[in-house]
Amino acid sequence: MAALRSSSRILSSSRAAFRPSAVFSRSMASVSETEQPRTKSFQIYRWNPDTPTEKPKLQTYTIDLNKTGPMILDALIKIKNEQDPSLTFRRSCREGICGSCAMNINGQNTLACLCRIPTESASDVKIYPLPHTYVVKDLVPDLTHFYKQYKSIEPYLQRDTPAEDGKEYRQSKADRKKLDGLYECILCACCSTSCPSYWWNSEEYLGPAILLQSYRWLIDSRDEKTAARKAKLENSMSLYRCHTILNCTRACPKGLNPGKAIAEIKKSMAIGA
Amino acid sequence: MASIMRSSVLRQTALVAKPAFRNNAVKAAAFHTSTQRSAILPPGPQRIEGTVNDPAPIPKPSAVDGSYHWTFERLLAAGLVPLSIAPFAAGSLNPTTDAILCSAVLLHSHIGFQSVLIDYIPNRTYPGLRKFFWWGLNLATVTVGVGLYEFETNDVGVTEAIKRIWKA
Repeated sequence: MAALRSSSRILSSSRAAFRPSAVFSRSMASVSETEQPRTKSFQIYRWNPDTPTEKPKLQTYTIDLNKTGPMILDALIKIKNEQDPSLTFRRSCREGICGSCAMNINGQNTLACLCRIPTESASDVKIYPLPHTYVVKDLVPDLTHFYKQYKSIEPYLQRDTPAEDGKEYRQSKADRKKLDGLYECILCACCSTSCPSYWWNSEEYLGPAILLQSYRWLIDSRDEKTAARKAKLENSMSLYRCHTILNCTRACPKGLNPGKAIAEIKKSMAIGA
Repeated sequence: MASIMRSSVLRQTALVAKPAFRNNAVKAAAFHTSTQRSAILPPGPQRIEGTVNDPAPIPKPSAVDGSYHWTFERLLAAGLVPLSIAPFAAGSLNPTTDAILCSAVLLHSHIGFQSVLIDYIPNRTYPGLRKFFWWGLNLATVTVGVGLYEFETNDVGVTEAIKRIWKA
């Protein structure tokens, strides 16, 4: 990471052309004192449950990008470490595999660890918690209902017949391939909380993330409860509140396509396959 | 790296700030009732019932509301395309195709408005308002249906009317 950062600094430095020798020396140093600071302001949503009568507000923090990693999460951690330890957000893996740091950055739901700090414009970066969620504190949303919905689809292998060899449930390569693009979902809730239909009816509509997981179990060749799983979706709310808005597909930080998964469920339910 | 740079003073304040994370439901409720919102659309409960270990309730299965409804809706919508082109392409305007087109459009828009009501007036929060609009929509559909019937029987009919207006 450190190597990446220093090389990007060389590229972006406007003064490098005047002092070619400095480029090489700088690549070895971790922090260059002579470099001009590249400041960037972050407007971050703040709300403290201990003072609930205070309105939520945007608080501005300014940091030097030369001393920060390339991603939004690096900036948030830097702010928390050096400027305001009360700033609260979830993070864990910092490489887009845990889904903890899902938040709304410049109007787009994404993972802070996979989102670069925009350097092309001087405008402030605005960071909010995931939209239409109850806020626990600052950037931490309450995802209890999301997890309850996940539990309701029974996201585990269900079958009655034992394995032929008594050891494991085998699957052809073609059947395994059907799970690609589905099993990668990390349940960060970026897609569900970007869906207007989920904003309106999240109590009953399952939302793109849960429906993608639902489809993952529907098409698994080893699962034998397909009919029961489909019967659970046979109502006007759980599945059919999807109006193909496709905000989900645009939001997914893992590049998956929940919209297509939902369309596949609708198709298979329509033709009864 | 960052933890080394962090000063011990900041670390102490972080420890002090820790209990602030606890969610205080009572205070939160006080905050939300303090905002001035109209009584017609009261705010939701502001909290989630149960824990992550309780699965969300699943509505009663009904294919009529689910897959049959969806399939019918899509077939109807797709059918409208040839239905609206046919009378002009064939060049002959007859009351039968007119009647089929009118009823298909009427049903299509009825289903569309039903979907809008389901989206925007949820039964769980506004059952009374939902019922009012639901029957209002039914009344509107019947009124339009009667109007179209009158127009077809006592006047020139829909396709003929469009043909007369359309000067292209």
